[in-house]
Amino acid sequence: MGAHISIPMYQRAVPQRYRLAGQKCLKCGKVNFPPKAVCKYCLTGAEFEEIQLSGRGIVYSYTVIAGGGAPPEFSEEARCKGKYPVVLVELEEGPRVIAQLVNPPAEGITIGMKVEAVFRKIYEEEGVIRYGFKFRPATSDS
Amino acid sequence: MEGVAIIGAGQTRYGDFPNKGVKELFAEAYLEMLQSVDQSLDPQMIQAAYIGCLSAGSGFQLGQLAPLLMGHVGLPNVNAVRIENACASGGFALYNAACAVASGKFDLVVAAGVEKMRDVSSSKGRYWLGVSGDTEYERLAGSTFAGIYALMAARYMHEYGLKREHLSMVAVKNHKHAVANPKAQFRKEITIEQAMNGVPVAHPFNVWDCSPTTDGAAVVLLCNAKIARNFTSKPVYLKGFGAASDYLAIHDRNSITRLAATRKAAAEAYKQAGIGPGDVNFAEVHDCFTIAEILAYGDLGFCEEGRAHYLLEEGVTQLNGKLPVNSSGGLKAKGHPIGATGCGMACEIFKQLRDEAKEPSRQIKNARFALSHNVGGSGGTAAVFIYQRGDE
Amino acid sequence: MMTKNIVSYGVYLPFLRIKRDEYVNALGSCSAAIKEKAVMDIDEDVITMAVEAARDAIADVDISQIGVLTLASTNFPYQEKVMTGTVIEALRLNKNVLTCQHGNSALAGTEAFLAALGMLEQTEQKYALVIVSDSLSADASMDIEHGFGAAACAFVLAKDEPGLEFEGAYAYTGESMGLRYRLPGETSVRDIGVKTYATQAYNDTVKNAVWGLLGQLGRNPVDYSHVILHQNDVKTASALGKKIGFNEEQMKEGLLFNLVGDTGACSAMLGLCQVLDNIASNDKVIVCSYGSGAGSHALSFKSTNQLLKRTKSFKAMLNKKQYINYIQYLKLKRNI
Repeated sequence: MGAHISIPMYQRAVPQRYRLAGQKCLKCGKVNFPPKAVCKYCLTGAEFEEIQLSGRGIVYSYTVIAGGGAPPEFSEEARCKGKYPVVLVELEEGPRVIAQLVNPPAEGITIGMKVEAVFRKIYEEEGVIRYGFKFRPATSDS
Repeated sequence: MEGVAIIGAGQTRYGDFPNKGVKELFAEAYLEMLQSVDQSLDPQMIQAAYIGCLSAGSGFQLGQLAPLLMGHVGLPNVNAVRIENACASGGFALYNAACAVASGKFDLVVAAGVEKMRDVSSSKGRYWLGVSGDTEYERLAGSTFAGIYALMAARYMHEYGLKREHLSMVAVKNHKHAVANPKAQFRKEITIEQAMNGVPVAHPFNVWDCSPTTDGAAVVLLCNAKIARNFTSKPVYLKGFGAASDYLAIHDRNSITRLAATRKAAAEAYKQAGIGPGDVNFAEVHDCFTIAEILAYGDLGFCEEGRAHYLLEEGVTQLNGKLPVNSSGGLKAKGHPIGATGCGMACEIFKQLRDEAKEPSRQIKNARFALSHNVGGSGGTAAVFIYQRGDE
Repeated sequence: MMTKNIVSYGVYLPFLRIKRDEYVNALGSCSAAIKEKAVMDIDEDVITMAVEAARDAIADVDISQIGVLTLASTNFPYQEKVMTGTVIEALRLNKNVLTCQHGNSALAGTEAFLAALGMLEQTEQKYALVIVSDSLSADASMDIEHGFGAAACAFVLAKDEPGLEFEGAYAYTGESMGLRYRLPGETSVRDIGVKTYATQAYNDTVKNAVWGLLGQLGRNPVDYSHVILHQNDVKTASALGKKIGFNEEQMKEGLLFNLVGDTGACSAMLGLCQVLDNIASNDKVIVCSYGSGAGSHALSFKSTNQLLKRTKSFKAMLNKKQYINYIQYLKLKRNI
């Protein structure tokens, strides 16, 4: 049993989930992600321009979810991996986002390490694969 | 604004009770509350009831739980409403009850909380624990509720040099406090070694950093302070009450080493009570995870932000310390029946400020002001209360 | 006449690898002559790999000019669904791009490439994006499974823009079961299991396609700097290459089977990506796919200009990896 997010509800967030579409406040110029009805920075702007976030950022904080305690919709992944990291990432453009970290470095995750967004399966419900972004350590040669 | 007094308080033991449902738990706490009112009280005088609950018995009664419960205890015709703010449901029930009395609209009001968490499968249990964050983002990141607090803990450790050991010191202290509390779920001491080496939950947390799932209920009776002495010679005055909210999602908050909701609620409560953190003699704070108590020290003004670990090292918040915190055992060891927790804290303080703590070994002496602090989820909401003893 | 050129390309290799030794340790032997192979993580499928390879390919391309998207795999996560839609959303492509999906056999990769060449004529836009992403699956109990890998690659084709110019194609298709096939609803391929029959089918089909192409263009094997033949294993592919008249030097950069495994529809196209990392002006390249028995497409290219500068080299991707053991592998394959 999961926190049910219906297929239409998931689809409404596809621009955010698939490619980190952010919204730039036309009043103060700051970037909101996830989207807000009123800008979280100036608290007045309600008109936005869609911008494409780079997906690059740094780890602001992290945890490693132990397999046994994973939310039900992640239990198969947890069973397979035993545990998996979740990171709070501060993106280049300012907003912070929370997501899983894949390919965690063997030497451990550190606050401040560079990461980049990657497209993955998040979970599956009602037979529909829910795709979205996760992060991975930034590739050194890019 | 009218003064508000607490004249009765009761609660079930917290724990795992396969034979008791939401109604039975609520009734048990309600009847104990009635008994605690030492002079005569006609329950039919109760005008309103604010009942905190998240899951309404794991979802069986999501609609209109409050009239169901009030009808079960012989009060079918009161103004009854369920209040939901996740783990702060009880606190917000108390806050709304206090506001109702303070407004002058009602003279006698029940504030209560109840939760039945232990009769569902573990996967359903995990479902209910994961519905109070920003589900669309936090949960779909694969994070649990523990995971969100773990992110705060990791950042706090990074910024302020808090050590894993400090987290465990909270657990050890609260377990120690719970030993003498007959209402507590876990009445067993743990060692620091045990606390540091539990089964991993969400780095840096192990199982000893987390509050349990718990069945339980708590009920307090509030009245207009003017008439408090009609019911008891030892009222406890609710001198200040504050409540606030914050971005629900951790990624939307500027700082994750403090809870803005707690700070705002505390400021409101202190201001109303006309006291400051230094006047508080003891406190019940929201320690759903060990880091939560550490954040609370700073947010409630017991220390500067980032210095909470020194309070732990110096034993300030031990039962015999200068500022005992969680004499009940806290959420960690007394237990955390989500909706009941905020009112359960009021029960503990009510008993302590009347010198009626059971067992007497854990009675805090010569206390004048106490504080309780209840947080919803990872800090999306918080309520803070200042209590003053009334028999002076 | 309009020329069509590859102007950019991208690659995705899963981070996880399993070494041949793991099979040998667990099962006593390994039927595939690999050193190691690429393995998808539990949260990967051919669509996630396709998106990553495509992002690599379009990093410096004006995506508003993409008018065609073709997508190939033998192992799509849905039997019925417009999977190009997922890719369009993930890449923020125009929603009016002409799309098609190719599957059913390892020929799908070159089919998608050829389709894009044709569809490019139907759009006002300048570019076509071809994505080939494949992972093969068979029950862990089957020997044929040992060589099955995973990878994705993507190409941006442009009208009249210098790059790797497409010169021509030659197809050769008949009736042969070859190596493997799969029935509707099954997740595991079936192994024909007749080695000499399978090798003969491969040799005949690929050889006829390559010879056909050489004849069509009036060329000889020596005219090519690079040749990449579909690889069910390195030995058979190399032996056939030599038989056709190519030498090791011409073939070596296109051989990837021993490092990534059998990547099905991706196999020859992936080899092309490695070749492109170091291609010189005027180099000519032959790429020949093979669809498990029945068919082959041989494609000829000529390098006319530097391709778009890439941020990640193929070699770096091959070296960026984490090894897993056989038990972890079985867990990923949902066999435990």
